[in-house]
Amino acid sequence: MSEPAVDVPPADAAADAAGRPSSPAPAAASGPVGTAVDSPLIEARDIRKTYRMGRVDVPVLRGASIAVRPGEFVAVLGASGSGKSTLLHLLADLDRPDPGPAGGEIRFRGERIDTMSGRRRDRFRNRAVGIVFQFYHLLPELNVLENAVLPAMIGRGRLAWLSVRGAARARAREMLESFGLGHRLDHRPSELSGGERQRVAIARALMNDPDVLLADEPTGNLDAATGAEILDLLTARHRAGLTVVMVTHDRGIAEQADRIVFLREGRVETPGDVPTPH
Amino acid sequence: MYHALLANRYLTSRVIPLVAVAAVGLCVALVIIVVSVMSGFLEEVRSSGRTLIGDVVISAPIDGIPAYEQLVETLEAEPVVAAAAPVVDGWGLLRMPYPDVGAKDTQPVQFWGVDPARYAAVTDYGDSLYWAPPAEGAELSETDFRARLIDAIGTGGLADWRQAGLDLDSGRPGLAGAVLGLHVSKMNRRMPDGSVTPAGGDLWWMPRHTVQLTSLPKAGGPSPEPIREQLAVVNEFRSGIFLIDNNRIIVPIEVAQRLTMLDAAEEVDPATDEPTGRIDPARATMVLVRGADGTTAEQVRERVSAIYAEWGATIDGDEGFAEGVLVRREGEGVRVETWEEQQAGFIGPIEKERELMRTLFSLVYVVCAGLVLSIFWAIVYEKTRDIGVLRAIGASRLGIAMIFIRYGLIIGILGAFVGLGLGALVVRNINAIHDALGDPPTWLGVVLAVGAAGSLAGLIATVRRGRLLPLVLASLGTLVLGGLAAAVLLFSGVTIWNPETYYFDRIPSRMDGFTAVTTMVGAILFSVLGAFFPAARAADTDPVGALRYE
Repeated sequence: MSEPAVDVPPADAAADAAGRPSSPAPAAASGPVGTAVDSPLIEARDIRKTYRMGRVDVPVLRGASIAVRPGEFVAVLGASGSGKSTLLHLLADLDRPDPGPAGGEIRFRGERIDTMSGRRRDRFRNRAVGIVFQFYHLLPELNVLENAVLPAMIGRGRLAWLSVRGAARARAREMLESFGLGHRLDHRPSELSGGERQRVAIARALMNDPDVLLADEPTGNLDAATGAEILDLLTARHRAGLTVVMVTHDRGIAEQADRIVFLREGRVETPGDVPTPH
Repeated sequence: MYHALLANRYLTSRVIPLVAVAAVGLCVALVIIVVSVMSGFLEEVRSSGRTLIGDVVISAPIDGIPAYEQLVETLEAEPVVAAAAPVVDGWGLLRMPYPDVGAKDTQPVQFWGVDPARYAAVTDYGDSLYWAPPAEGAELSETDFRARLIDAIGTGGLADWRQAGLDLDSGRPGLAGAVLGLHVSKMNRRMPDGSVTPAGGDLWWMPRHTVQLTSLPKAGGPSPEPIREQLAVVNEFRSGIFLIDNNRIIVPIEVAQRLTMLDAAEEVDPATDEPTGRIDPARATMVLVRGADGTTAEQVRERVSAIYAEWGATIDGDEGFAEGVLVRREGEGVRVETWEEQQAGFIGPIEKERELMRTLFSLVYVVCAGLVLSIFWAIVYEKTRDIGVLRAIGASRLGIAMIFIRYGLIIGILGAFVGLGLGALVVRNINAIHDALGDPPTWLGVVLAVGAAGSLAGLIATVRRGRLLPLVLASLGTLVLGGLAAAVLLFSGVTIWNPETYYFDRIPSRMDGFTAVTTMVGAILFSVLGAFFPAARAADTDPVGALRYE
């Protein structure tokens, strides 16, 4: 028997300087979801995802649904193999649900993203979401500053990049300095500690000022103290208005979020998370 | 922009791409060197052909052109013709004295009977005379035998010898002069600096010796008797083409006419055995023509062909000539050809050979593509996770592919320029390299031996450490350096490009620009082509699969 999902009121944060929408009112977030006032920022409905392992079909998600409202910090808690990372990949549009209506649908600001063309999906991943991985996944050939600034380069052509290069590098530098990495800008990832690498990865994820940060076990590869620092960093960004979806198997870490969604055997165990159909 | 950043970083952060650059460079250099030598060879044949025979040749090999003097004068009156020279050519046996070794030798030669002044006006005969003062501004190397001759007899002495060659004059009554190809004499030895030194340090042909030329004449009935001429060797010539320098001798035209029985004769009435008063004029087997400046060989040939036809018609009816004296028409045993057409039988196969080489060596493009493909395939495999990350942060498939295509482009461009540099270096110094290979300097052997000893010391040290890669590298280094050192120290005086075997006495060293450019472009294109497949594989990388496992 699984534990019930825990709804935690979101942080009461004001709109940040960049004009990010403020978090929904605690009453709205903790009460019945799916009202017209706080329609989800990103939403997965009845998602099914099956992988083929040799000749065997392995269903990973079996009708999972989740809706994340703007400004929320949602933790997806589940055991290993429950489909947490798959759900995160689908929300990031890195992967698609099973084909056909039975596979479900994923919407961002009400628009289907799982059926978008390749170019729009690339743009969505570059601009709307930022992804943080358990193993940091920094590019070893690039230094800290270059790793952080990479999404800004990817999203632009040569001329466009040249016109914003100075501003982008300044933004990356500022962010890295605020993460305590000002003295590491020219270092290669191999010269950094795990916590430092993860902070660079977070800076990279935030480079293009995404609408939602998707974090896959961001503390899973760190010791408790460093993990707590990373979590503090995410919490601080959330307080500044960032929507965060974090996947974890650690209940203690999940409890840092506004709300916990429990995933078990490919299904979300909190029916209340799914907005009432309009 | 990130394609360029990552492509550059992938290039500079590992050794394997540099190996690819070096391999592409070697392939490009290989083609440039081989085709440049072939092109240089072809160019030498062409330019030598022209300096040896002029622009246009009228040849009548069967029974010659009668009254050729009139033809030469008619031709020289034409504005398109700068000069014309009659030649009587034939084959004979040359009896050579070799007093230094106490023996004589007989060898087949092609003799060209010429009017030396006219011949020199049409060809570069004067410049080809070898025993002559050096051209103005030219310096003789210390090992050049001519430098020693200048010390012994002075520049004036050499100038006299040159003049004797130009006049084909032996200075001895009743003895005509002859100029031999520089390699006709077996006593002449080519030196590493390209000069020629007579064996024994003594000019074998010095006036004390004469040669005997024996020929079977063209005329003279069904069983002609051999005709002999004694000749004094007055100089030697060097055309630069071994095939000619090895078997051609230049003699006065009258001598060649006597040897071939193409000289003038009086007509005799067969019934009375009395002279009829008419003559069978002397003949030439060729008339060489040099065009005026600014004319092409084709223009000259066209005009010469027309003049020959008109002139021939005037001779046919000439009452002063014996019965049966006819000028053969073009196409009836007479040919009017440009120097290139005349040499076509020789130039054509070389051209085809060069194109065949170019085509065969184009396989290096496939090698370039294969190199880049295999190296990139491995890099894409190694970089799968990074590619997944890039896809996750918004890089498009095309963007990912572009990283590797750009990477291939950089390797192709760098390799092409490395190849160009290496090729140019080798082509420019090919004769020095050849000489060094044939007679390597001792210091090189010592340096290689020291390197081998160092490598051996490294080998002993790595054996103690027990690691395999340094062990393999040190073993290879010891073997290669040691082998090279032994080769350099033990072998010397080996002539690889032996002028007795090859056509030219020096390896042509002319850079073929067209080949260099096409090979470079080909190497770049095929390097990019080789990058396509790994690039497509990278673009198709499933980001989820790439990121799932650490």
